[in-house]
Amino acid sequence: MIAAAPTARYEHLAELVRDGTSRFADRIAFTTCLPNGMHGSLSYGQLERLSDAFAAYLRDVLRVEPGTRVAVQTPNCLAYPVVACGVFKAGCVLVNINPLYTPAEMEHRFRDSGTEVLVIVDMFADKLEEILSQTAIRQVVVSEVTEFFSAVPRAVIRSVMRVWDRVLPRMRVSHLRLKSALELGAEALTGDGKSVAAYIDGQGPATLAVLQYTGGTTGVGKGAMLTHGNLIANFEQSYAMVQSHIDEGKECVLTALPLYHSFAFQINLLCFFAVGARSVLVPNPRPVQNLQRAFDNYPITWVTGVNTLFNALLNEEWFTAFPPKHLKAAVAGGAALQRVVAERWESVTGSAIAEGYGLTEASPVVSFNPLSGLRKPNSIGVPLPRTELRLVDDTGRDVTAGEPGELLVRGPQVMQGYWNMPDETAAALSDGWLRTGDIATVDEDGYYRIVDRKTDLIIVSGFNVYPTEVEDVIARMDEVQEVAVVGVRDAKTGEAVRAFIVRNGHLTAEAVREHCRQYLADYKVPKSVEFRREMPRNQIGKILRRHLRPAELN
Amino acid sequence: MLTDLETQLLGVMIAVIMLGMGASLTFKDFLIAFRKPQGILIGLLCQYGIMPFLAYLIVIVLGLEPALAIGLILMGSMPGGTTSNIFAYFSKGFLALSIMMTIVSTLVAVVTVPILLEFYSGLRGLSGQYEVPAGDVAQLLAVLIVPTIVGIGLRKWNPNVGATIELVGGLVGVVVIAFLIVTWVPRNYDLLASTPAGVYAAAIGLGLVGMLLGYWLARALRQDKRRARTISLETGIQNSPLGALIVVLTFSDELQQQVLLVPVLYALFIVLSSTAVTLWFRGITTREQMARDQAKVATAPVGPSGGPVHR
Repeated sequence: MIAAAPTARYEHLAELVRDGTSRFADRIAFTTCLPNGMHGSLSYGQLERLSDAFAAYLRDVLRVEPGTRVAVQTPNCLAYPVVACGVFKAGCVLVNINPLYTPAEMEHRFRDSGTEVLVIVDMFADKLEEILSQTAIRQVVVSEVTEFFSAVPRAVIRSVMRVWDRVLPRMRVSHLRLKSALELGAEALTGDGKSVAAYIDGQGPATLAVLQYTGGTTGVGKGAMLTHGNLIANFEQSYAMVQSHIDEGKECVLTALPLYHSFAFQINLLCFFAVGARSVLVPNPRPVQNLQRAFDNYPITWVTGVNTLFNALLNEEWFTAFPPKHLKAAVAGGAALQRVVAERWESVTGSAIAEGYGLTEASPVVSFNPLSGLRKPNSIGVPLPRTELRLVDDTGRDVTAGEPGELLVRGPQVMQGYWNMPDETAAALSDGWLRTGDIATVDEDGYYRIVDRKTDLIIVSGFNVYPTEVEDVIARMDEVQEVAVVGVRDAKTGEAVRAFIVRNGHLTAEAVREHCRQYLADYKVPKSVEFRREMPRNQIGKILRRHLRPAELN
Repeated sequence: MLTDLETQLLGVMIAVIMLGMGASLTFKDFLIAFRKPQGILIGLLCQYGIMPFLAYLIVIVLGLEPALAIGLILMGSMPGGTTSNIFAYFSKGFLALSIMMTIVSTLVAVVTVPILLEFYSGLRGLSGQYEVPAGDVAQLLAVLIVPTIVGIGLRKWNPNVGATIELVGGLVGVVVIAFLIVTWVPRNYDLLASTPAGVYAAAIGLGLVGMLLGYWLARALRQDKRRARTISLETGIQNSPLGALIVVLTFSDELQQQVLLVPVLYALFIVLSSTAVTLWFRGITTREQMARDQAKVATAPVGPSGGPVHR
């Protein structure tokens, strides 16, 4: 089946949701699978009813206006799709919040976005106590990881969480349980024959759909404004790259990455939903042992992940000895997919793994290695349909062929700007071109390769040093478990290379430098080496180099 | 010792625990255990090679009197007990491997145990007529295998039911172990007060040194650390009810009481030492799981290196 070139089938995410729930009503849409195998599921039909109820709760019970920001702060669980789809149907704006944020980070996100309604998982709701009064939140709705589980497994899990794990804090802020909110919403709907479809009257592709915060855990977070048109365009573009491996209504995708992150949000929540897949949600994939029962109990055909996840799976005997039989393909994003991991994955599972590239500001997918075509290792592939890429130098001029330059993106998936940040928006967007801050090269086949983050570039006596190149060399040493390379100030050379290493054996700084001298020009060899017990990481496991740099250089 | 009612109650609880253990497993877990079947053979080697020899060595070193010597050698020659599976489970060990080792060592016990007993007791000039009643062994196996298979089936049928039974089984396991630990000093105060230090050393040492040697042998024979820890627990934990049964069937009157001393003491202390070792192993396994998450993938020679990955 060859589909036509992607055209905008939907105008609004509520339409995408409605189309999915009506075409696949009897199929299971989402299943939460816990490490011990306990599970709960929702069918597409149930999801339609519940998300209608949540939309009605927002618009007819709370009586919020269209465009109101509704934040969701839960790990992967059945509450997430119900709330997200309900927010779209209500014509409100979804704000994705990482559940692991500190109260200070939460306060910033809530205040910056002007969030009025918050859906938060009970495990972390105690963090609200000190900050709630500083925000514009007028209703807190509390959900749980076991949302929509049947009674006995729910009771068992919740008593284990309460008594043994002690992760269910006492709720001191006034709140409503999601279940009650949905009941109120359902009543409001039956009452006066209101139509949920009317909530989005006057909205369209240009309407803001999601505020997706970026900028990590330090500094000021920026809310990327993604419209319905942005997200739908990116769904169709991404779908075009994978449709050769998709049977509508038959796929089963493992969702181990958090849905509040732009990658899983687009691919797992939107793409696989629109094709009638069953998505197996794993609330906490660490340790990766937690995924064993998901692979045992469900015929997983697709996996989305980041390098660290694939790497961790390949270190598990239960995975490598009996790789998932039905697996068709895996897609990697978020951070560079290491070549050795990609090769091992394909040889163990016998199925393809394709690396893509994206950023929150582009909804997020920009480029992909086509699943049915040439896939190049260490490459982020080719641009998606209707996506233009350019490589420019510091003055904004296109670089000559083969030279590295900053990657710029233009396409229907590029955000409208940063929420309430005109200066930041102007710095990132001009003439529709989005500056990615990544330095890339392109080869003669049109395949792009990320060289490094522009801000991570180290300039030693006027020479450019790309940290990734140095890291790749150091990572070849067996005693090196992980490595990150950053620039530090140096009196003689301006900047100097410093390597941070987590070792798994005996290793000295001099041995590292000696090893580097065999492969690297002198100015690239680390001037100093520091050993660490662990690396600072972000929410999906990417090493944060900026946390390793001395503060004055950030 | 326990009263008849307590013994029966314990039997029921063991069945519930094994049902829970089974419900924590899938058939695939057993396939993974069978990927390295030498683990089961190494378990046998530990069980019937190391343990009886270790018991014999302790007898020599401590110069135990004949009745105690027979008791210790008898305990050393026993197959693995059901409790080893419970401890394997709580230590996050290789439960499927542990269960397979217990089944196999119990099966062959009918033949190996009499031979070993005659050999080692003969060395000390204490030969007697030993017999392992096949009916009792069959019963042991049934109590082990039937609930396990039912548990596996329940998990396969519905993971929610399976996981619930697993938690119930685990909870009963904790309660039983805690009950044994808390009550055994007051219940056995007279016995403990009148027992000489050498007998203590023998009864405690057999289990602990057995675990140590089992771990070393498994590691020396290239078992990975988690399998080695499972084999270690399996080696150290003997089936003491079976040992006591054989004593009762073989000896009578006062001699029976004297021979029983070591199995009884062993049974008391093994719960204590296994609990400590299990908590220790559990911590190690958890740390290893977290470390494996981070570890680099071993470079595997796949396909022609160089050119693009193309399928």
